[in-house]
Amino acid sequence: MRCDDCLAQLDALHDSELMPVEETALRAHLSDCPDCARAYDILARTSHLLQEGLVHYSAPDVLKARIHGALMRERDAEPPVRAVAPWNRWSRLAAAGLAVALASSAATFAAMRQSTAARSAADQVLASHVRSLMPNHLIDVASNDQHNVKPWFNGRVDLSPQVPALDSSGFVLAGGRLDYLAGRPVAVVVYTRRQHVINVYSWPEAGSDTPEVTTTAQGYHLMRWSKGGVAYWVVSDLNAGELSQFVTLYQGRGLEQR
Amino acid sequence: MKGDRFEELILPHLDDAYTLARYLLRDEHDAQDVVQDAALRAFKYFNSFRDGDPRAWFMVIVRNCCMTWRRRHHIDTMTVPYADDHLSAVGESPSADAAAIEQSDRAALARVVGALPVEFREVIVLRELQGLSYTQISEVVGVPVGTVMSRLSRARKRLAGALGIGAEEAS
Repeated sequence: MRCDDCLAQLDALHDSELMPVEETALRAHLSDCPDCARAYDILARTSHLLQEGLVHYSAPDVLKARIHGALMRERDAEPPVRAVAPWNRWSRLAAAGLAVALASSAATFAAMRQSTAARSAADQVLASHVRSLMPNHLIDVASNDQHNVKPWFNGRVDLSPQVPALDSSGFVLAGGRLDYLAGRPVAVVVYTRRQHVINVYSWPEAGSDTPEVTTTAQGYHLMRWSKGGVAYWVVSDLNAGELSQFVTLYQGRGLEQR
Repeated sequence: MKGDRFEELILPHLDDAYTLARYLLRDEHDAQDVVQDAALRAFKYFNSFRDGDPRAWFMVIVRNCCMTWRRRHHIDTMTVPYADDHLSAVGESPSADAAAIEQSDRAALARVVGALPVEFREVIVLRELQGLSYTQISEVVGVPVGTVMSRLSRARKRLAGALGIGAEEAS
């Protein structure tokens, strides 16, 4: 075998793309020819370095949620078919989420028995947030447009939630969702910031206005306040500083809209 | 049912889709937008998927969406320049294994691969990261198998040169 013929097939040899006969002939030449053997060694080392060293990215959760939301809209547009089969690859994630959710609802139950209403609301909101991160749960109406999201709640809840456009500040509206907390439907407006999901819960609640209170549980930050007979809860794994910035923006823009 | 089958066959490959898009577009936000678009297209045209490898089928769509995006945004031959002095260290250890590859080496590697022309970069990602066969790569890229082989060979030679692999014993 000539060296040129050998060199032309080195990549195919390395990638197991040769017929057995060709492979045998090539390996025979390599054992006799130090130059070709050296070229093969360089190729193999380069390939190995690439395979070990190049980053294999994971699709971010926000992307998965966006795709899921978009697919749901597609499916609703198509004729029948709507069975809920778990996303093959996400089922593990869902199982993990479910475990956390179950743990939180156990905590909710315990908390409700022993203590205050605020504590129980916090647990319920948190459990709902965790549940929302599971596939199929984040968004009922997926839209980046506040004028689509806000009207969607009409007739579904007894309060029209604030849906300010905050994307200029880096908080992108992802959509809205209906959740059940304390036995009643609650409006949830969903924003994202980078890979983080922010859920904003609001429902009518009698009582005087209260300032923002921040708590942390299971790695999530919760902020709550009341204004004008509406209780607000915001939950995210975003850092406390940015979440607080979000709340300020949400409140400010929310007031302008009225 | 279409939806269930789609979820079962195509969605498990979102990481691969996103990885390909990241390398071809070199921007995480662009990659997210393009993969979302590709997933929706895949869903729409899923009826045309008969059998064969669902991952390769999906990669065809992802790759085409990436290329359309690049054309639309005029990212044609743009390559990021790199400084050779950053790179010489990467290949020094002949037995570099996963544990030995430092963070800075990974960054250097990413830079060198990022600097390849896109037609070389895509075959490197499809082969070295995703392990597709030459036939599959030929389907994804839309060129004959012989072209796949020669691009892969040239890409590896360029990378070996940029990484200084083999330079130590030659000198």
